[in-house]
Amino acid sequence: MTIWWLAFILGALAAVFFGFVWVIVTLNRVGGGGGGSGKGGKTKQDLDKAYSDMAEEDAAHLFNKEFREELRNRGRLRFEKIIDENAMFLKQDLDMTISQLNEYMKQQITDKLDAEFTEYARAMKEAQELALTTLQKTAADIETQRANMAATLQQDAAAREAKIMKAYEENMAKIIEHYVVQALGDQFDLKAQLPYIVAQVEANKQNIAEDMRL
Amino acid sequence: MSETAAPSYILPAALTGRADLARLVREIETVDGELEAQKVRARGEQVNYRLPNMSKPLSDFLDQNKQDITNDQTRMGLVENLRKLKDHAPVVHMTFAVEADPESLMQLVEYMRRELHPYTLISVGLQPALVAGAYMRTPNHVHDFSIRELLSSKRDLIVQDLEGLLRG
Repeated sequence: MTIWWLAFILGALAAVFFGFVWVIVTLNRVGGGGGGSGKGGKTKQDLDKAYSDMAEEDAAHLFNKEFREELRNRGRLRFEKIIDENAMFLKQDLDMTISQLNEYMKQQITDKLDAEFTEYARAMKEAQELALTTLQKTAADIETQRANMAATLQQDAAAREAKIMKAYEENMAKIIEHYVVQALGDQFDLKAQLPYIVAQVEANKQNIAEDMRL
Repeated sequence: MSETAAPSYILPAALTGRADLARLVREIETVDGELEAQKVRARGEQVNYRLPNMSKPLSDFLDQNKQDITNDQTRMGLVENLRKLKDHAPVVHMTFAVEADPESLMQLVEYMRRELHPYTLISVGLQPALVAGAYMRTPNHVHDFSIRELLSSKRDLIVQDLEGLLRG
């Protein structure tokens, strides 16, 4: 549809151009004038000459300078009128063409923008869905990792507590023993220890005596 | 001990170790030498022996065993038998946590000679880490009567008490 309008406008412009050329050519022909032909015979020649002279005189009289000037002015006015009309038509056509072109361009741009916006909205929606999915997956992964870490930490804490308790129990006995050793180490002389030693020897007297008799 | 001296002597409590016994033997030899010298100087005449100063262990030994040291045969027999005794008497190595005072050692050796073996000798050692008590090594066995060993053997009691305390 728009292409046909464009072709029509170009055809109208071409017709105006050719009309303009035709007017210029016609005016040149009218401005240039036509020439006459001679007659045979002397008298007749003279007569012809006289007629010719008269005709020339009449022609000169008829197409004198003022008349030509008037014709020239009329032609100029008509030419200007035609040019103004054609320019007006051309301007109207151009305005209409520009308006149609603008409308066309606006429509095209609108369609293009609509398509782009639609594509953009679709892409945005896909990106949003992808981001949402990713976030949900990330949240699920984090939750899983948190649960695993919590379980691991609980196990680790329990194991560590058991280890500490075991070390505490083992080392506490040693600590107490060390404390007793350090606290009592210098408190008793052999005289004070002698009853204990004798009692211990007495308890193992049989074994010791047998060993010494061997 | 399979081989001990044939005559039965009573070892005084002051003779606690093999070194004391060796010192006793040397002292008897010295006395023997001195008395032999007096005998030689007498040139066959009746000798009035002048006994040299003797240590308390030797005096006690002679008193307790009623031995006449002026008798040559007796001195020879003492030296010989005490040497055998020194070499073959059962020695008990005892390590104490503190320095052993002679009085305690004498009490201990008296007890051991009365209850275990009449010729028991003691070799004394010192190990403060024992805290108290003694570490006793007989010829074939070791007996740890120290407080350290006692605490170690009773460590389970401490652990049980601690567990009970911690678990309410």
